[in-house]
Amino acid sequence: MTATATMVTGAPRPSKPNTRMRLRVRNALIGWSFILPNFLGFALLTLVPVIALFYISFTNWNVFGVAHWTGLENFRRLLGDATFKTAFVNTLYYAVMHIPLTLVVSLGIALLLNTKLRGVAFFRTAAFFPYITSIVAIAMVWNLMFSPDYGPINQILRFIGIADPPGWLTSPQWAMPAVVIISTWRDMGYYMILFLAGLQTVPRELYEAARMDGANAWQRFVNVTIPCLRPTTFFVTVMLTINSFKIFDLILVMTKGGPGISTMVLSQFIWRKGFEENQFGYASAASVVLFLLCIVVTILQFLWNKRGSRA
Amino acid sequence: MKRKIVIAASVAAVAALSLTACSGGSEPSGDATGPVTITVSGWSLDTTPEFQLLADGFHKSNPNITVKLKEYDPSNYNTLVTADLAAGTGPDVITQKEVKYVTTFQEGGQLLDLSDVKLPDGISGTDSYKVDGKLYAVPYRQDAWVLFYNKDLFDKAGVPTPDGSWTWDDYAAAAKELKTKLAAAGSKAYGAYQHTWQSTVQGFANNQSPDGGVLGGKYDYMKPYYERVLDLQKSGAQVTFNTATANQLTYQGEFGKQHAAMMMMGTWYVATLISQQASGDADQFTWGMAPAPQYDASTAGTDKTPVTFGDPTAFGVNANTDGAKQAAAKKFVEYAASEDAAKALAGIGITPALLNDNVVETYFATKGAPQDDLSKFAFSTHTVKPENPTSSKTAAIQNILNDMHSAIMSGSESIDKAISEAQDRVKNEVG
Amino acid sequence: MSTILEAADESATATLLSAPRGRRPKATTPGKRAARLIGYLAMIIVAVALLVPFFWMISSSLKTSNDVFSVPVRWLPETFVWSNYVDIWTQTNLLTWIRNTLVLAVVVTFLQVLTGSFAAYGFARMRFRGRDILFLVYIGTIAVPWQSYMIPQFILMSDLKLSNTLWSIILLQAFGAFGVFLMKQFYETVPEELSEAARIDGLSEYGIWRRIMVPLSVPAIASLTLLTFVNTWNDYLGPLIYLRNPNLWTMQLGLQSLVSNTQDQNFALMFTGMTMSVVPIAIVFLLGQKYFVEGIATSGMKG
Repeated sequence: MTATATMVTGAPRPSKPNTRMRLRVRNALIGWSFILPNFLGFALLTLVPVIALFYISFTNWNVFGVAHWTGLENFRRLLGDATFKTAFVNTLYYAVMHIPLTLVVSLGIALLLNTKLRGVAFFRTAAFFPYITSIVAIAMVWNLMFSPDYGPINQILRFIGIADPPGWLTSPQWAMPAVVIISTWRDMGYYMILFLAGLQTVPRELYEAARMDGANAWQRFVNVTIPCLRPTTFFVTVMLTINSFKIFDLILVMTKGGPGISTMVLSQFIWRKGFEENQFGYASAASVVLFLLCIVVTILQFLWNKRGSRA
Repeated sequence: MKRKIVIAASVAAVAALSLTACSGGSEPSGDATGPVTITVSGWSLDTTPEFQLLADGFHKSNPNITVKLKEYDPSNYNTLVTADLAAGTGPDVITQKEVKYVTTFQEGGQLLDLSDVKLPDGISGTDSYKVDGKLYAVPYRQDAWVLFYNKDLFDKAGVPTPDGSWTWDDYAAAAKELKTKLAAAGSKAYGAYQHTWQSTVQGFANNQSPDGGVLGGKYDYMKPYYERVLDLQKSGAQVTFNTATANQLTYQGEFGKQHAAMMMMGTWYVATLISQQASGDADQFTWGMAPAPQYDASTAGTDKTPVTFGDPTAFGVNANTDGAKQAAAKKFVEYAASEDAAKALAGIGITPALLNDNVVETYFATKGAPQDDLSKFAFSTHTVKPENPTSSKTAAIQNILNDMHSAIMSGSESIDKAISEAQDRVKNEVG
Repeated sequence: MSTILEAADESATATLLSAPRGRRPKATTPGKRAARLIGYLAMIIVAVALLVPFFWMISSSLKTSNDVFSVPVRWLPETFVWSNYVDIWTQTNLLTWIRNTLVLAVVVTFLQVLTGSFAAYGFARMRFRGRDILFLVYIGTIAVPWQSYMIPQFILMSDLKLSNTLWSIILLQAFGAFGVFLMKQFYETVPEELSEAARIDGLSEYGIWRRIMVPLSVPAIASLTLLTFVNTWNDYLGPLIYLRNPNLWTMQLGLQSLVSNTQDQNFALMFTGMTMSVVPIAIVFLLGQKYFVEGIATSGMKG
């Protein structure tokens, strides 16, 4: 374990600087050779348009013709735009409700279904069904379920004695919670799959060892499962956060931002400004704000994760 | 090193964008006398025969010009056409599906000035395509909103059918009466069905009220219209907005399956209803059209000209074509507005922009079309005002008004509060 | 000293041959049996909640279009319109749509898994300058909503003459950051010591990737395959913008076209198609369970 340790740990060695240089270059070359196939496609087809997007946010481009530079004008306009502020707050509101709920539910289901009980394959498939169903069908069905006067959910609520059940998607106060419920219902199968895969990486012997030390189920969960799941949990949390801030298709088909603008989120604001009102520069500026929101939170999560893994 | 790469890439991207945006991608136009092919944008080609009909009719009288149809998804038509035009692969004839977006194309330099195209007298809808006095698209189709009513249900309830002189108060009274009497006669049908679109209320409010207007920024005139609607909902004469939204009711289903005795809808529904009755998707019943209820008695009656609304559909010419292609495209556009084309369109149930007697006769000659005089009157005699005024502010304002519509109709906000909010938003966001 | 590969094999076989995991049939007290019964009951109720919309889809597919939406909601059709399942083949281009969707899903999934796991190894195991920043750039692009850069991307693709071909979707989806991120996280769960020992044995980095990382991350690869496949299968906006020619339409585009023209909609037929669209994926998932959950455990290292 000599030469290889240097490569991996990168600890400074008191030997010839040339060897270190050669090793670093060699590392870089090999590293890049792995990344290149994916990176080429990614850079050309995703990175370039994204950079163009950032440029456009400083212009007043309306898709046709040349883009005129307007500096920070779009961003200034955003600051005074009450609808933008509503969209921003709605996005945060949605994320704050959706992220912990989905995390807990999907992890819970993954744990529950990580057994060899008979029929568990059926339940796993059932959990995954919402994700593979078309979003259009989901919107249609849940609209019916949440129908305030005729829907089954309110019928059940009335049956158990709640005389004035919420208006759900037709009420500005309850529309967003309804969307969160539907969204969690839809996403839990997706993140369950990721957690299930992650649970497979937890070595069985650690459970055995813990059991032999007298740990009960909860203690095994906290001291074995959670630490070993860290890379998976981190991945799920980052994706869940970003996806929550970006939520678009569900809102578009379910409420279109209504009633009024009580469920309008940033992605929908961007769509409206860009594609319905052709103010592409302005929409791009809003996209930059959404991006900053996601990236700041993601970096915080990265730092938190790094700190934890060093322990 | 990394920073330089990023800068280089972004410069390249911008260069690429500005280059393509300027190019427009015109293809070399062929020999002026040789065969020419032009592309026309259309949607749902399988179920919207009007485009193929016009293409074939045009080709017959211009055998050296072939018309190829480019199919687009109807619910995202504007986005897709915009993307294509931006990438330089747009059609030669740009169908203007919605008046809301005309100014975007025109200001973006995508539409050719068509002021020199010969148009028949009496063609309606041209105002929607005039900017600064110049015409940028030629209408071939003009739908209008009328009152569809189910004669059988009226008879069952013992309520007199519309006579063409209704005001909105008459309409509301009839709807309530229908509901009560239908229930007494053992039917579960409603007096009327109001679809969830904003146009079902605002289209009339904007165009019938003396001080109405989308661009005005003041919307108090909508209050009486909304009060009437909310009252109808409360009385149970029609299904509530919330239920219609949540249960995603379709207007074809509600009227076609006789769940309601009356419905305000555009004249495009005639062709659908006829074909659905033929195929069994709708019930067999006698129905007719009546003029839309009026603001007051001054325009109500078969001796007057009722006021209704509707937007035309038009063809524009891609400003980036030239030579033979441009000439061919202009010829196509001229043909589409002509009486020959109007008669052909009327024959398949489309409401053409040119509505003279010949055309109306052809329209009602279709099997399954109502034959009574009132229907013919409602179809042919009206002042059609635009649903969407032609302005770059229209799309943004209409979005705000749509939010207001859902806020009022869902009961989330009072009419006054919603209207004042909408006014503030228009002032702040659109200016 | 046996190579690390043999050691991994041995322990894996040992695990597989050892007594079955999961609950042993210990002495089931009435309390335990009641608890298990309640557990099953809870799972069944949850499963019903999860499947209700699917049931409604099937029910709608057996109605006529004007009966699909009604007040009040009808859970069962009045008359069963079985002919919808025949009509969808004869009245629409379903075969073309399925073929296109299948081609796209398979090719995109294959490329995404291959290049993604390859690139993930570079990020997870190799150390070089700028690695972390580059990875952050990857994640950064996930943080931008796609509709924001859709138009510049479309202009670019059109200039490359790729628009209106299946290649456009393949290229767009196959090189995403998601696969790289997912695989990187899973590679980080593989103990470094395994790679170390392999290097000592003279295995190149590529060899390590192929013979250690990939076999040990079967659940991750299975998950990535499944999720990429489902995402491509259900993708709507991408094909909407890029696949204009009706011959290129995917299932989602084709089914939407049945209801997108508000003057002529056939909801029942659309739901027929959607029901048929969900079933193959559900079957694949049901049968492929063992790859997700019963992959080889990384139990090669003791102590």
